[in-house]
Amino acid sequence: MSVIVMKDISKEYRIGQIRLNALKNINLEIINGEFISIMGPSGSGKSTLLNVIGCLDKSSSGTYFLDGNSVETMNDNQLSEIRNRFIGFVFQSFNLLGELNALRNVEIPLIYRGIRGKIRREMSEQALEKVGLKERMKHLPSQLSGGQQQRVAIARALVGNPSVILADEPTGALDSTTGNNIMDLFTQLNEDLNMTIVQVTHEESIAAYGKRIIRLIDGEINKIDFNGVLEGKK
Amino acid sequence: MENNKGLKSFLIRMLFNSKMASSGLISNVLRTSLTVLGITIGVASVVSLMGIGEGARIAVVEQFESLGQNVIVLKANSGVYSFQADEYKEIMERVDAIKSATPVTNSKEYVRWRRTRGDIEVLGVNSQYPEIKDHQLQAGNFFTTLHVDTRSPVCVLGYNVAVSLLNGRSPVGYTITIDDLNFTIVGVLKKKGDGKAENIDNKIVVPYTTAMRLNDIRTVDEIWGKALDEKDTSLAIVQLSRIYSRKIQGTPVNTTNPDDGGEMPPEEMKIPDMPMPEPPLETPPNDIFTSGEDVITITSLNQLVDEANDANRIMTLLLGGIAAVSLLVGGLGIMNIMLVAVSERTGEIGVRRALGAKKTDLLFQFMLEAFYVSIIGCILGVFVGIWLINIFKSNGFAAVISIEAVRIATVVALTSGLLFGVYPAYMASNLSPVEALRRQ
Repeated sequence: MSVIVMKDISKEYRIGQIRLNALKNINLEIINGEFISIMGPSGSGKSTLLNVIGCLDKSSSGTYFLDGNSVETMNDNQLSEIRNRFIGFVFQSFNLLGELNALRNVEIPLIYRGIRGKIRREMSEQALEKVGLKERMKHLPSQLSGGQQQRVAIARALVGNPSVILADEPTGALDSTTGNNIMDLFTQLNEDLNMTIVQVTHEESIAAYGKRIIRLIDGEINKIDFNGVLEGKK
Repeated sequence: MENNKGLKSFLIRMLFNSKMASSGLISNVLRTSLTVLGITIGVASVVSLMGIGEGARIAVVEQFESLGQNVIVLKANSGVYSFQADEYKEIMERVDAIKSATPVTNSKEYVRWRRTRGDIEVLGVNSQYPEIKDHQLQAGNFFTTLHVDTRSPVCVLGYNVAVSLLNGRSPVGYTITIDDLNFTIVGVLKKKGDGKAENIDNKIVVPYTTAMRLNDIRTVDEIWGKALDEKDTSLAIVQLSRIYSRKIQGTPVNTTNPDDGGEMPPEEMKIPDMPMPEPPLETPPNDIFTSGEDVITITSLNQLVDEANDANRIMTLLLGGIAAVSLLVGGLGIMNIMLVAVSERTGEIGVRRALGAKKTDLLFQFMLEAFYVSIIGCILGVFVGIWLINIFKSNGFAAVISIEAVRIATVVALTSGLLFGVYPAYMASNLSPVEALRRQ
């Protein structure tokens, strides 16, 4: 089943008189359980693509279906709900809220979904267990290492059981060992939980964790590499 | 579980937003407390300044009210017109609203009791006087109609006179001399307080008939009447002014109408020897009901009270208004700090938008943050204001804790908090998520 279906997606920016085509006629289909890396030099439009996939930004033209929902026609409130239900974000700099402990940080998407405390707590503990940080759930972000913070962020992305996890340079702020651990975690989530993962990176070694590598140049898909065997995904 | 339209889920979100608002404030204690201080100062100055104004107003009103409620004063311009001694009876007859009335004479007499002596103001009235001016007796009785009719040499002492003249002895039954005539003391009036009720505490009251003989006068310059309530008072004033404008019109030209009952005193009946120490209240009756070109002035104390009240209220509001400017400045402080907070937390805003926060969530959070500041500042300000008022009070100022001031200050502080919180909160909620995430 396709999680993401993009047809002729373009994104233009206007800076004064200059028109900048950040994305040009992107056609992309991502099916459930895929692990995809988006690569490209800076300015190639990979972050823009991720923002459009994540419904943080709207495309200028084209059609985009996220888990069967036509995103273009939605208003701001609906997009908020879509982000909350279908997407789990993982950022380069973790972006945990400093005044909340790990557990509370993980709870945030569930709070916006209006899930009440007890259930919320159970779900969040489970998510933290999946990333191996259950025993540190009472810690504040400042009391955790970078890798641990990113794990909490991944738990936060997982907790609402989204259709896809979008990771923007998830290892960019980590040393290579920790970064590889994080990527192993992603691989594990992808394989064990059949979680669809889309990551943006500019490092080949990190991109190699993905089963499909989409290379962007100047806002266009330049090349798609299949990394390893395309196993039978449904 | 997935029902996110329900009230409960809305409350869950808003509870979280309000927690975020308070943790936003706590995360920068110094900045928050300075902003709160701005509001506190504003509210405290509104409360204390208006309290002072209100205190002054109440003091003045009390003073006026001690003169007697619903009292109407008819005052003749002594060169042109004066009242017959029994004209008050005619007034009571013709003006239904006036239930009691008395002629009034004022003079200063040489008063002696054994070795104590001095010039004391003597008020001549009839036996209805205590009722008109709401006086009560400390000891003895007021003189009666019989005393008045028989021009008896009896007197009632004001409280201070009784204390100072007779050195604290119970004065009833003693005799004092007023202008070398012996007067029996029949009663002592209750204390009214300094400057209250025309300073009655320092006067001696005698029957007006006696006073007129004492001073050898045939007419009086003042009549005081009392109506039952405020409505009757206004009604009575209208009637009185009609009656007197008709009477006086006739005076210079027309000497007919003898059946009118001696309302036209011949010129020689003027009383130049009347010293007339004016009671403090009837001072300038400018735009109050006047009739017959200042020949007679008809004044109701209610009007004076109302006017003084109005003047003071305007004063109070003015003070409050000036103080409210500082509240406005405090509100600008809130806006300033909220703008800083929004730009500081741009990244957080972006993250929360990505996690599913709606515009309303952020709007609510930042509005609430501004509201918290203003409400804390407001509560502290009310306390500081009350504290200041107590300091004023203990230093002898007439200040009161005015509920109106507290209400005005609260309303202004909270609305300015909200008003100045709206723009930053709107900015926060309208940041595009992508932009917010990029700017972190």
